[in-house]
Formats: sequence, C-alpha cells, structure tokens
Amino acid sequence: MTVVLQQGINGVVLGSLYVLVALGLTLIYGVLVQINFAHADIVTLGAFSAYFFMHGLGGGYIPSIAVALAVGGALGWLMNAAIFAPLRRQGNELLPLIATIGVSVMLENAMLAWFGPVPYAFDSPLSNDVIRFAGTFITLQNVLIIAVSVATIALLYAFMKFTFLGKALRAVSQDRETAGLMGIDPDRLVMLTFVIASALAGMAGAMLGPVLVLTPFAGTSVIVKAFAIVIIGGFGNVEGTILAGLMVGLIESYTTQYLGPGMIDIVVFALLLVMLAVRPTGLIAEKREENV
Amino acid sequence: MSSLDAAQPARVPVTRRLAFLAAVVAIALLPLVFTDTYWRTNLIVCAINVMLAIGLDFVLGYAGQLNLGQSAFYGLGAYASTLLIMRLGVPFWIAFAAAVAFAGAAGIVLSLFAMRLRGHYLAIASLGFAVITYQVLLNWISLTQGPLGIYAIPPPPALALPGLPAIGFRNLANLFYLVAGCALLSYALLDQLIRSPIGEALTAIREDEVSAAALGINGAAWKVFAFGVGSAVAGAAGCFYAAFVGTLVPDAFFITESFTILAMVVVGGMGTLIGPVWGAILLTLLPEVLRGIGDLRLVVYGAALTLVVLFMPGGIAQAARLVLARLRPERQPELLR
Repeated sequence: MTVVLQQGINGVVLGSLYVLVALGLTLIYGVLVQINFAHADIVTLGAFSAYFFMHGLGGGYIPSIAVALAVGGALGWLMNAAIFAPLRRQGNELLPLIATIGVSVMLENAMLAWFGPVPYAFDSPLSNDVIRFAGTFITLQNVLIIAVSVATIALLYAFMKFTFLGKALRAVSQDRETAGLMGIDPDRLVMLTFVIASALAGMAGAMLGPVLVLTPFAGTSVIVKAFAIVIIGGFGNVEGTILAGLMVGLIESYTTQYLGPGMIDIVVFALLLVMLAVRPTGLIAEKREENV
Repeated sequence: MSSLDAAQPARVPVTRRLAFLAAVVAIALLPLVFTDTYWRTNLIVCAINVMLAIGLDFVLGYAGQLNLGQSAFYGLGAYASTLLIMRLGVPFWIAFAAAVAFAGAAGIVLSLFAMRLRGHYLAIASLGFAVITYQVLLNWISLTQGPLGIYAIPPPPALALPGLPAIGFRNLANLFYLVAGCALLSYALLDQLIRSPIGEALTAIREDEVSAAALGINGAAWKVFAFGVGSAVAGAAGCFYAAFVGTLVPDAFFITESFTILAMVVVGGMGTLIGPVWGAILLTLLPEVLRGIGDLRLVVYGAALTLVVLFMPGGIAQAARLVLARLRPERQPELLR
C-alpha cells in the first residue's frame, strides 16, 4: 500500500512536468495547427541555462527558474520568427514540421558537442529536504514542481478566461480568419503563443533538471511522451492535455515499479496507438479535427 | 511545331534508357576508381542510404504521408534476416525475402493507422511506432540480445555461376556491386510504379484526398500499398546493412535514423525519385569529405534540413531544374524527373 501511494506521488510529480511541456505543444497547435518538434530542445536549453546560472554565476535556484523561463520565451520568439512565420505563407502542412525536426536535430547535436554526453549534477537545494507522512516521502523539490504547475495552470486559465489577449487567443484558435476580421492581429498572437509556450518549456526544464538526468537529450526523452500526451488528451485541448499528462506520469511510475523501466515507452506508446485506433479525437474532443 | 511535339514522346524513353545505362556504368566503375577499404565502405553505405531514401520518398514525396517510422522498418529487416540466418540456419536469400516481406507487412500494419489519420497525427503515430520498435529490440533480450548486440553476422554467401569463378562478398567491391545493383533495381521498380497509373493515383491522394476519392481512387488501399512498398525497400536495406556491418545493436535503428533518412529525402527533393538519390549520396559523403566535422555530422544534417525547407523546398532536384532551365531555356527539363 505504501508503495502504491509512493509511486502515486512520484507519478503526479512526473505528470506535472509533462503537463508543463505538453501544454506548450497544445497551445501552439491550437492557434497554428502546427507541431514544434524543437520544443524538446527549449526544455533542455532551459535546464542548461538554469544550471549555468546556478553553477557558473552562483545564482540561487529559484531565480534560475526565472532565468530558464526568460530563455525559453526568447527561444520561442526566435523559433516563430525564423521558422514558422516565413513558412506560414506557403500554406504547406508538413514543411514547418520537417523544418523543426531539422532545428531539433541541429540543436541537440550542437549541445552534445558543447556540453558532452556525461550527465550534469544539477543539485537543487530543495532536493535534500524531505517531508514524510504515512510511510511515504516527498522532497521539497517535488512539492515545488507540483505547486508551480498548479499555479501555472491557474494563471494560464485566468489569462485565457479574463484578459483581452487571452480571449483574442482563443478567438484565433477557434477561427483565425473571423478573428482577423474582428481586428485581432493573428501574427502577433501566434508570436505571443510561442513565447508563452516556450517559456513554460524552459521553466519545466529548470525544474526537471534536478529530478531527471541532465544531458543534451533530457528534453527529447520528455518530448516523445509529451507528443503522446497531446494526442491522448486531444490536440489543442488544454483540459485533455492536463488529464492525459497526469495519466502518463502515473502510468510511468507504476510501470517502473511493476514491469521495469524498459517497458515505459512501450506501454505509453501502445496506449497512444490504441487511442489513435479507437478514439483519435483524444480523451476530450473539443472540435472536430480535420486530420482524423 | 507539330513535328517537335511528335518527336517528344519518343525521345524521353531514350534519355531514360541512357540515364539507366549511365548509372550501370557508374556503379561498375566506382569500386575500380576507389580501391581502398575506406572509400569502398562509404560507397556501400551510400547504396544502403539510397535504398532507404527512395523507399521513404515513395511514401512521403508521392503519397504525401509523413512517415517517421522508416528507422523501424530498416531495423525490422535487419533483425528479421539476421535472426533467421543465425538462429534457424535459413539460407541468406530466403531470409532476405522473408525479411523484406516482414518489413513490408509491418509497413502495412502502420498504414492501417494512415487510413484514418493524416498530417501531424500520422507523423506522431509513425514516430510512436518507431519508438516501440526500438524499445522492443532493446528489451526483448532473449531474442535480440538487446544492447549487447549480435556479432559475427556472416556476409551473403558466395555466388557460384556456372563457368565463372565464385563471387565472394567478403570482397567489398563485390558487395558494393550487389547492394548498388539492388538499389538500382529498387529505383527502376519504383520509377515504373510512379510512371504507371498507380503513380497518378498516389499523387492525386497527396494533392487532395477528397477530390481523388471523387475520381474513384481508393485512398485507403493505395496508402496501404505505398507503405508496404516503401517499408519493404527499407527492409531490404536493413538486410544488407546487417550482412555488411556484421554487428547489430538496436541503437543503429533509433528514431534519429528516421530523421537522417528524412533529411536525405528533403535535401534531395521530395516528390522526385532522382532527388533523394543525390540527397542520400551528398549527406553520406559530406561529413566524410569535411573531415573536421566528423563529430558534428548530425548538426550538418539538421542545418541542411532546415535551410532546404526554408529556402529551397524542392531540394537539389529543384535547384538542378532551375540551373538547367537557365542554361537551356529551349529544352524542357523533363529528363530530371
């Protein structure tokens, strides 16, 4: 029973990280109907910028999360300006996806050349403080991850629901042309979405650095699951993504416990393929997708 | 003017036959020019990559289905043939045929998803298929020996033609003739398919599936066909890879390999069959020529992929057509296709 509970906690922590990464993909898909493959590398670069801010410049851990957030946002702006904005005019569905695969391969291997394949010891001061209850334990780092994720989701929800920009963003994702006719500049909102989505990815990187292994491939191992999550949850659907993210986190921790870590990807992607075969619109189908 | 029009249809097959002959001559001469082991090894890798690239191009460039699972079919072909040969003692060519059929069947399984999904959904589904295949190869240790790998895989058996000395495939030049011959055969086969009404059906599906259906084209059936053919070619490449390298580890078939093959197709030019051939050769040899960047091989691939999509989405084939059109404005650039 204690093991079940403990793995449940671990699963929620992992799931919270996945949600932060997958939310960005879902937001971008919502307004642009495009996938950013290089989202993974924004996570990794966020983790490395936090690491170097702490261990190179002697900064604190909490400020380093803010640094990663800023770096992620800047990279998102750059991705949009360099890749998505020029290609949007061509109207081809697959070209931007292929271009971001190129960016991802390039960034990942450039990081491999600079940082090397040996994992970095990214120590968060919060990892050593442990809260115990009912035979289980949770580190302060994990409490922070869950708290930041919940706060981020709440802020994002409030932003989408109550601010003008948030409403404009939803309008663009529902019908871009009509939103344009209402005087909303879609280009600016797409840019804003990229900045928000990538800032979340950078922040997620700073928080997963101390939890997972920090190598140039840290983001990639998360992103393939994030892809599975956005599809299982229903592409472009925020609630579905949150639900599916927590689900995949729990599946991962219980699979590790009962089937062994080698089975994680097999179980997650088998679930993805079953979902695609049975219910390709995802857990929560918001609107009819034209791709399924 | 009318006499020129009449001459046109007769001339195209002649240039194609000449191009085919030129390819045969080039394949025959290459190992004679490059006699050292290093370059002959590179030539064989080029031939294997050409097979992978044209197989993917058939699915991506013609049928318009973004398949990120090519590494899985490549790996399935390699492991299927090797396990048949080493565990069950099946003769090489029977194992080869079985592995090609197996990879093709796996492609058909994936195409069952392609029947319902398009665009990004298919890209992610095929990526998931590649991830699962890699993890199965890595974790089914009793069958594949997982990360330890399979060693001492024999090369194809010597070919004994009556009246001629036996042709052994431990000789790299002979092995190159075998692999390049198969690559040329695959090219000719795909070329014929593309020029047949099947090619028209596939491009119709790529351009607009609904309109194609309105013309009586069964989109689902042709997607199954395209995936089957494209992955069978990748399976054949896998068999040769195993027999050539002599060692198999799952890492050779990680999803990065799918991206590498994608880069070859896109840099060469999606939707032309000759483009990916040049793309595969260029991206295989470029890191070897620029010796200093050996470690940055994949950085170059990624940069090439991005820059080509941004500035020349038709790849080398488009660039060549532009150059040719400028050099000879009076002649149709028909022979490039």
